[in-house]
Amino acid sequence: MALTMTGIGKSFPGVRALSEVDLEVAAGEVHAIVGENGAGKSTLMKILAGVYQPDAGSIHIDGVKVSLQNPLDAKHLGIRMVYQELNLVPDLSVAENIALGRIPKKGGFVDRAQMHSDAQRVLSELQTKISPSTTLGDLTVSQQQLVEIAKAYASDPKIIVLDEPTSSLSEHETQALFQVIRRMSAGGISVIYISHRLREVMDIADVVTVIRDGQRIDTQKIEGVTVEKMISLMVGRQLAEVFPKRTVPIGETILEVRNVCVPGSCEDINFTVRSGEIVGLAGLVGAGRTEVAQAIFGLKSYSRGKVFVNGLPTRITSPRKGIKAGIAYVPEDRKNDGIIPSQSIRNNISLAVLPSLQRLGFIRGRREKELAQAKAIELNVSPPIIDRLVSTLSGGNQQKVVLAKWLAAKPAVLILDEPTRGVDVGAKADIHTIIGQLAAQGVGVLMISSELPEILAVSDRIYVLHEGRIIEEISRADASEQRVMHAATGGDSS
Amino acid sequence: MTKVKPSGSGMAPRVVVQSRRSNLGGWIGLPAGVLLLVVVGTLLSDKFLSISNLTNVLISMSIVGLIVVGMTFVFISRGLADLSVPATVGIGGILVLGLQPSLGSLIAGIVGVLAASVAGLVNGVLIGWFKVNPVIATLAVGSIVLGAAQAFVGGVIVYGTDSETQDLINSRILGGIPVIVIIFLTVALLGHILLSRTAIGRYTYAVGSNPSASEASAAPVKFTRAFAFLLTGALGGFAGVILGLSLQTARPIMGIGYEFDAITAVVVGGVSLLGGVGSIPRAMGGLLFVQLLTNIMVLQGVPSPVQGIAKGAMIAGAVALDVYLRRRGGAQ
Repeated sequence: MALTMTGIGKSFPGVRALSEVDLEVAAGEVHAIVGENGAGKSTLMKILAGVYQPDAGSIHIDGVKVSLQNPLDAKHLGIRMVYQELNLVPDLSVAENIALGRIPKKGGFVDRAQMHSDAQRVLSELQTKISPSTTLGDLTVSQQQLVEIAKAYASDPKIIVLDEPTSSLSEHETQALFQVIRRMSAGGISVIYISHRLREVMDIADVVTVIRDGQRIDTQKIEGVTVEKMISLMVGRQLAEVFPKRTVPIGETILEVRNVCVPGSCEDINFTVRSGEIVGLAGLVGAGRTEVAQAIFGLKSYSRGKVFVNGLPTRITSPRKGIKAGIAYVPEDRKNDGIIPSQSIRNNISLAVLPSLQRLGFIRGRREKELAQAKAIELNVSPPIIDRLVSTLSGGNQQKVVLAKWLAAKPAVLILDEPTRGVDVGAKADIHTIIGQLAAQGVGVLMISSELPEILAVSDRIYVLHEGRIIEEISRADASEQRVMHAATGGDSS
Repeated sequence: MTKVKPSGSGMAPRVVVQSRRSNLGGWIGLPAGVLLLVVVGTLLSDKFLSISNLTNVLISMSIVGLIVVGMTFVFISRGLADLSVPATVGIGGILVLGLQPSLGSLIAGIVGVLAASVAGLVNGVLIGWFKVNPVIATLAVGSIVLGAAQAFVGGVIVYGTDSETQDLINSRILGGIPVIVIIFLTVALLGHILLSRTAIGRYTYAVGSNPSASEASAAPVKFTRAFAFLLTGALGGFAGVILGLSLQTARPIMGIGYEFDAITAVVVGGVSLLGGVGSIPRAMGGLLFVQLLTNIMVLQGVPSPVQGIAKGAMIAGAVALDVYLRRRGGAQ
């Protein structure tokens, strides 16, 4: 075996990310790893890359036990990672990018001829038609991706990890990439291939490992599985927690989105949210869920289409207008878009409604305090000491503060983007309860989530996005994990 | 079933240490430092603790103190620093004295403040809307304004003739408090109220601490950034007007050095260059510390080049300490 990982375990504060995971990859094998968002694939690969240290387990390369203390160790052992985000310098040539970090020198100067011919050799071995002298920034994204792979290949690796390499590629470009992968595997390099696109996995992989909830569920030869089998292995868990959705009378349509198009992310989006209804927006990461939500709230601009709030056409071009129209948006990235870390709980909660708390230009201190106190208690923020800095709270409580900020704005439509990501179980239950209460009060809720059990349990209706389009609408009664996953991975509706 | 996205978004608790530690240093360190200086000053010189010496310290704080108020807004909003201060001080001083004969001191003073405010507004628009680096924007605008001031007076000194206003500014009221100090303290108090009690003050902290969350919370990010520079421009002009009226002479270069002294005070006060943290009282504490230290050095006859070295070391040390504390607690 080129690579053997045995009994790998890894915990983060409060969370068990991996437990007892085994992985065996033979030389020249294309080994796919599939699993839901957050199943532990990335953590496992980061351990292989030396970014994280495992709490348990061992790693052998070519039968020799190794210790990967840092990314450099992994590099020396011939392990190369190609991440979704490219690590290239757009202003340099293709040859320079490939040579970066190991630039050939002659008499202390760069040996340009050598660098150029090295790059040429690598590129033609991979049978690409990219010229080494082209400036990288002039290439298409897919060509840049190939350069990134060529760069990894040029350093004579043993194992290459490709993390979602096709997420920005067209069908045709994907085939070109597969050619390159097959060349590498024919040359004895092991390729670990991480992807959500199960059809592509069927196409390229020799072996597939399914990971779910931090555990290895199964490893099979690709001939022995189907897409449906993989999906059921990926999602087939017991529901450890039930998120009760209270039945409330569903009212009039309050948000209607018609033919909205966000350039580069999604097209022709149509959906409605009614009063008292919780609508789930499912789909893989990168399917355009967040972009749709941000466009409706005014954080992103949309090029075509119309948004109606309470039946009135509304042109929302900024968050300020979004709030005025009665829309609130709890962002996905709490740390970057949610909290103001240097400020108190109170100041965070009041931030979006400051204009309404003013009198004669001054913030009405007592009103603000009462508001913050009430919201902190309503949302069960712990500790409910509103003068505490938000940065001293746990992730779950920070999320509650962000939610409190938006509830203070009394929205008619509440958009939640991954409201329970990275949040502990208790806070998660609290957040679900609050969402249910809001719906009972007549708020229309649109919830984006990558966690299927969550979206199934909480939603009255589910829209599934795939590559920027809504490809299916599923009612609560008809919804199942298999059906949502099937649509999200691009399957035909059935 | 809660899972962490190991890529980072889930690892929030790390921030905890950061804010506590940086707050602690700011709150305890500064009063202790001021107290230490008072003790040292008293031991070294019997003149130090006299009313007249301390009054002198207050007067020398007053002009730069006006600028410190604006510079605090710039720092907290993560606007780095306003380097056009020498120019706005210069244009304020020159306009008030140059226009005095035709308009009278009051109107001329208002014109001076307005002209400097326009410079501040241009800074603000460049930085807020066009996203020009604040250091470059304020250097460029400062250079233009200073050039205009020099063209206006032909590069020489302007002399004023309004000795009545001069006497008023330099007089003492309420049992010996200099008018200039009262002006400074009033502005500092107003600045404190603006920063701590109004929406624009709140936005200043929010934008400096996390601009993208502020944007997502419908805070007027561009306007808030611009406002800090508008305010600093206006206060720079006001400082120039007061200085001009009090001396009845003005030169285009009269404001040089005020930007440095203001930045030193704000930084020593523990207002973070990285934004989001600080207050007017803390900046004033920093100003007091620097002024007392300077006063002690003057009383001891320390040569002025050495004083310059001490101030420079203080800026570098305070910023390095701030960045270190934040890094240590914050993102690794």
